[in-house]
Amino acid sequence: MSQPHDDHHDDHGHQSRFIQHHYDDAQHQFDSGKLGIWFFLVQEILFFSALFVAYILYRHHHPEIYAYAHHYLDVKWGAINTAVLIVSSLSAAWAVRCAQLAQRRGLIACLVITIVCALGFLGIKTIEYSHKIHEHILWGKYFDPCVASAGNHLLNKGNNCPGVKTSVVWDGKAGKAKSGCLEGNYDQNPAEPGIQGKCEVIEVVGANRRPIEACEEVPGKSGGHGKPAKFPCYELALNPHVCPAGPAAMVLYGDHGHHGGAIEVRCDAVPAPAAPADAFADPAHVPTTGERTFAQHKAKSKHELAHEFASGPPPEHTNMFFSIYFAMTGLHGIHVLVGVFVFIWLLWRAIRGDFTPDYFGPVDYAALYWHLVDLIWIFLFPLLYLIH
Amino acid sequence: MSAAVDTNASYLTATRGWKSWAYTLDHKRIGMMYLFGILGALLLGGAFALLVRAELWSPGHTIAGKDAYNKFFTLHGAVMVFLVIIPGLPAALGNMILPIQLGAPDVAFPKLNLTSFYLWVVGALLLLVAVFTGGLDTGWTFYTPYSLQTQTAVIPAVLGAFVLGFSSIFTGLNFLVTIHKFRPKAMGWFQMPLNLWALYSTALMQVLATPVLGITLLLLFVERFMHIGIFDPNLGGDPVLFQHFFWFYSHPAVYIMIVPAMGVISEITTTFSRKPIFGYRFIAYSSIALALFSFLVWGHHMFVSGQSKLANMVFSALTFSVGIPSAIKVFNWVSTLYKGDIRLQTPMLYALSFLIMFTIGGLTGIFLAILSIDVQLHDTYFVVAHFHYVMMGSTLIAFIGALHYWWPKVTGKMYPERVARVAAIGVFIGFNLTFLPQFVMGSRGMPRRYWDYDPEFQIFHQLSTVGAFLLGLSLFGVVCYLMWSLKYGTKAPQNPWGGTTLEWDAPTPPTVFNFPEPPEIHELYNYDDLEELPEGGWVRKPSTGAKSSSGH
Ligand SMILES: [Cu+2]
Repeated sequence: MSQPHDDHHDDHGHQSRFIQHHYDDAQHQFDSGKLGIWFFLVQEILFFSALFVAYILYRHHHPEIYAYAHHYLDVKWGAINTAVLIVSSLSAAWAVRCAQLAQRRGLIACLVITIVCALGFLGIKTIEYSHKIHEHILWGKYFDPCVASAGNHLLNKGNNCPGVKTSVVWDGKAGKAKSGCLEGNYDQNPAEPGIQGKCEVIEVVGANRRPIEACEEVPGKSGGHGKPAKFPCYELALNPHVCPAGPAAMVLYGDHGHHGGAIEVRCDAVPAPAAPADAFADPAHVPTTGERTFAQHKAKSKHELAHEFASGPPPEHTNMFFSIYFAMTGLHGIHVLVGVFVFIWLLWRAIRGDFTPDYFGPVDYAALYWHLVDLIWIFLFPLLYLIH
Repeated sequence: MSAAVDTNASYLTATRGWKSWAYTLDHKRIGMMYLFGILGALLLGGAFALLVRAELWSPGHTIAGKDAYNKFFTLHGAVMVFLVIIPGLPAALGNMILPIQLGAPDVAFPKLNLTSFYLWVVGALLLLVAVFTGGLDTGWTFYTPYSLQTQTAVIPAVLGAFVLGFSSIFTGLNFLVTIHKFRPKAMGWFQMPLNLWALYSTALMQVLATPVLGITLLLLFVERFMHIGIFDPNLGGDPVLFQHFFWFYSHPAVYIMIVPAMGVISEITTTFSRKPIFGYRFIAYSSIALALFSFLVWGHHMFVSGQSKLANMVFSALTFSVGIPSAIKVFNWVSTLYKGDIRLQTPMLYALSFLIMFTIGGLTGIFLAILSIDVQLHDTYFVVAHFHYVMMGSTLIAFIGALHYWWPKVTGKMYPERVARVAAIGVFIGFNLTFLPQFVMGSRGMPRRYWDYDPEFQIFHQLSTVGAFLLGLSLFGVVCYLMWSLKYGTKAPQNPWGGTTLEWDAPTPPTVFNFPEPPEIHELYNYDDLEELPEGGWVRKPSTGAKSSSGH
């Protein structure tokens, strides 16, 4: 539309050509838009509210999964993103001021800063997301982590961790592999993994098939070959994904953390209790995996316990934490993305010179929207990243 | 755009061609397009209802199998709720009338208004996609976990309802701002027609409740699509949480349906009783009270879903309290009728039907709010009959009544009055014949949504089916003669019923910006102001001066 003399097209006197004719004047249009955006923001809050309710509910029912899972989130990235958003909120507010005072260059600068910050936020979020995708720390059905929340490696049930070539669940009673597959045929049906005999020793075998590390998990002995086990064997045994049938043995091949394509083999065998020789004598007490675990936990400080808890496999339904994490941050991210497009549109209009002290409503409304998006993140950051 | 639009011409003919409708920003044209869409959806939803009733003519297989039956009742519910009853009064008739009753040229955000309409179209198309790609068999409530497992077209249906939700939110937002910012200075809050109070309360609920449905349906969509697990017990989620979220919206949704109906009934009752409305402030405040109460009672849908006893008792008590504002309204309408000069024209016939049916629907709601009785009646035909008395017997009847009330104003044509009265009586008889037997059946234990039933229920089902077909025929007749009147109807006078609200001071049909000049604000519901013309219609007496624009 090119209507150069549109400024005085009606009896409203000299005013922006963006004042629509069903409004009395510029102020009327501005006030109406402002009330409208406020109602819209109320709507937005209610839109997010259901997710906050879900968060509260699941946290109330399963505090342990929140205590465990928040370690997965990187406070550093979360904090940087919080700062980035606060800066962008400031620049958005400043943009309104510039528009009001007809400072076109200031307005353009503020809008550019806001857009850059918003894109920065999304970039950091992408880094965080791609890390989680890489480690299978996903929502609901797809939560199948390759690492514990303290950072050490786990055997995941899908056998699809990057770098881990092979894993086997060894059935000690039956004397054969229950499920899993070996290097070379790990993507095939694991009917014949090629492991035989009872597995009592945990070995780590290098690329040249030479044992480089081992640990045994039999009473009275731990560690092996003078090297400490990378993580306690019982943790694997407790992992319901790995050992659903209880006392069994398992072997994990992989090259996690080893150079040169080394293969890691782990096994946690729980020996069957020995039959008492004398029927009248007290049977020798053989501690079960659970008891050993318990005893170790009892001896440790709260801090150590927390660390150990975070080093172990995730408690049941930890997937719900990530369902909520991805739902909330995903929906928030979509709002940020929408904000980017809105601010690019405003930038285009600002460059064109649409905004005047008489007409700057869109900048004001977009800034209000942006403050809300910022505010929601201010709630999400502590609720997801900083809880204990 | 051409500058040649004559803003003093009728909005119907000021511009021509399909584009002048498709891109229109005129609230009356948008309302008109909504109206035609909604009437189409009404026929579709009605066809599904008749399929349901036909199948229930005899126990076992009558015309369709179990799976088809499940789809019939689901699609009937989804189409009627999301496409007809929720948008019917606010988006179609509200859109046409609200700015005129305010004396405003348009709604606050005309482009947003058009966006709402196209969102409605997209939502309707998505529901149609669901109908034609395997149907839907979850019930209109989409309860988890079944809605996560069924092979039917849940995804398009859920997306459709999600989009329709935003159509509703934007309409509500538009109306709120319009009422706040476009009310003339001379019209204080308590000089607003009661219809505007009702639309305001409705808009409040649309903006505050619908987003919760939006996020719930979004989660359901993501659940089916990506197995996020929030409602899936297999993944550690909570299916009952879905019910909480769903009813947090869908109970207010019932009020989104009924409150605007109450608004138009207030207008029709006073106009056709030729008497000022009794208890104006009580009716106005009770609309707001209903809007607020509506957010506190959702748990009454879940008395048998494993809710705690305490929660059940609280929700039961709060549900009783909803009876108070509802009863206030009914008593005020009845008092308005008392010693009125009642004119039994078609809109009034619908208003009187509303009074009877809303009373039945409301009182049976109190039955269902009683915990011990609800355990008996839950998921029986008693519930079906109850909510049909409210949603159809009250809301849809009020919608049809309002349609007759404002039809002459927005189309400029009169419908055939005698045919319309016969149809109104047909609707009343057909409706009650359909649903009264369902109360009896339900109280004797006939479960809802069942395809098969014991032979002892057959007589009730057959009565109900006969009633449904009479009802369907009558409503079809209404649609037919209204369409007929567009071409052949006699020209409508400016004020055919002698109404006192501002729309009757606007030309018939209204001009592009509703009023050629800003209208004078007269005293509301003062029928002494008007005199009847011998050739039909009413005019203001020349002696009565306008209220000064400073208000009082
Ligand atoms: Cu309810």
